[in-house]
Amino acid sequence: MFEPDEELIGRVVRQLRRPVTVDAGLDARVMEQIGRLPARRTGGPVRATWRWIIRPRTIRLSPLGALAIAAVFVAVVLWRPDRPSRPASARAFGFVVVAPRAATVSLVGDFNDWDAARTPMQRTRKDESVWTAVIPLTPGRYRYAFLVDGVAWLADPAAPAARDDEFGAPSSVVTVGGS
Amino acid sequence: MGIHSVGTSDVEAVRRVLGGDTDAYATLVARYRDRLARYAVHMLGNREDAEEALQDAFVRAYRSLERCDDGARFGAWLYGILVNRCRTTGARAAKRGRVFVRDEAALNGVAHPSAAEQTEGEDVVRWALARLTPEYREAFLLKHVEDLEYEEMAQLTGAGVSALKMRVKRAREQLQTILREAERV
Repeated sequence: MFEPDEELIGRVVRQLRRPVTVDAGLDARVMEQIGRLPARRTGGPVRATWRWIIRPRTIRLSPLGALAIAAVFVAVVLWRPDRPSRPASARAFGFVVVAPRAATVSLVGDFNDWDAARTPMQRTRKDESVWTAVIPLTPGRYRYAFLVDGVAWLADPAAPAARDDEFGAPSSVVTVGGS
Repeated sequence: MGIHSVGTSDVEAVRRVLGGDTDAYATLVARYRDRLARYAVHMLGNREDAEEALQDAFVRAYRSLERCDDGARFGAWLYGILVNRCRTTGARAAKRGRVFVRDEAALNGVAHPSAAEQTEGEDVVRWALARLTPEYREAFLLKHVEDLEYEEMAQLTGAGVSALKMRVKRAREQLQTILREAERV
């Protein structure tokens, strides 16, 4: 085990701390060498300001301060107040209903504000009792129904019934998943 | 820090030099010469190399004075330049084979202590210091002779605090071992 000898080290340190003098001509040699260098360009306040701007600096920061700055940075990066919401990719979605005696059938739902004029359904060529409509839907949950001859509401027999029917008429629900 | 700033005097001198007043630099040279010379002489072991490193450090500092972020810390900044110059000069001297030649002229440059203080013999201390590796010698001098904090030493040397603590500890142990062996001879 090494036994530190503080007295011995203290003696060494005291001795090494004594002043040391060097050649008195050192100052003159330094100034002579400096005098041979090209004159320092000063450039006035503009140059001084530029030097101040480009001068690298050491910034001392506590961990808490660094965390706060990082949080602000993330918030600024993520915050886009005027950025329009990017529409999610829409997929074509087909609706089919059998209504042999109908003259007109419309598809109405959350996706077209329950407006009967916006999505009229078409008879299929093979079977005139079958009505179809294909509309683009973005991922989400939609309630819908078929409006037959402008008066009769018909839920989709092939789809789950919507529980939150606020209109008192039968309706179905479809959920479109994201891709 | 061991090389303390001299407050507004340094700030003013640095400002004048940057403004084109070359003579103002003489004030800074005179102010820091002897303090830096002590480190250079102990680090390099002879006055010739120490003066070369010192002169080089002063000239380099003048040429890059714009990089001195804070005039009030000119002394510490200059010290960092000297530490690097001593490393370079020491490495060059080692290549020449003059790793640490005890120099009577350097000893003559040391202010004479009182008779009581001189009894242990300065030559032995210098000889022991010379037997340390440059890294250990540098760390020991910065910590114990120049009285720097470890964080300041880390800034000057580029080494980590824990590495510097280890170097100082090993330097103390080796110095103690060398000096005790010398006492027994």
